[in-house]
Amino acid sequence: MIFARSLAKKTVLLSDGTVVGTVYNITVDLKTGTLLEILVRPQSNIPALERQNGFYVIPFEAVKSIADYIVIDSRMLRKV
Amino acid sequence: MISEISTFFGLRVYSDEGRYIGRVDDVVIDPERRQIRGLALGEFNRGLIDSHAPGIIIPYRLVKSVGDIVIVKDVFKLKKEKKEEAQVVEA
Repeated sequence: MIFARSLAKKTVLLSDGTVVGTVYNITVDLKTGTLLEILVRPQSNIPALERQNGFYVIPFEAVKSIADYIVIDSRMLRKV
Repeated sequence: MISEISTFFGLRVYSDEGRYIGRVDDVVIDPERRQIRGLALGEFNRGLIDSHAPGIIIPYRLVKSVGDIVIVKDVFKLKKEKKEEAQVVEA
């Protein structure tokens, strides 16, 4: 069980160990409750990631695991 | 409708029968299934929900709509009516 508030300001890493930034928010579909994207406050410049209003927008499919850090599967990013 | 998860924080929750349930403190997520599992209410209507727990979690499947408030399916009446029935029997 993971509480959304516990994710705030957690560090987001790519699977190769690169720091992306810290969690800013998560977008959801209110009707179905599906988690859509993670908005990340950038800490480093990663050209492969989509940027919107100054935040990285990472599709939730690419999230590999959530524990002490949030790990993003960089291979999934290229597919999406 | 698509929204950010932080919009839930602080929203009041009512049942579809107009009963006050509580206030959203946090959202429980299931990253594996990519779903919201439920809404965590810190402050809740103790007259309706007989619990001494510091908070309760409302499963997201009960949520009917989210806007200025949250409306959930009223699943609380059964329990309450049962209680009333029991009191009648006692009297």
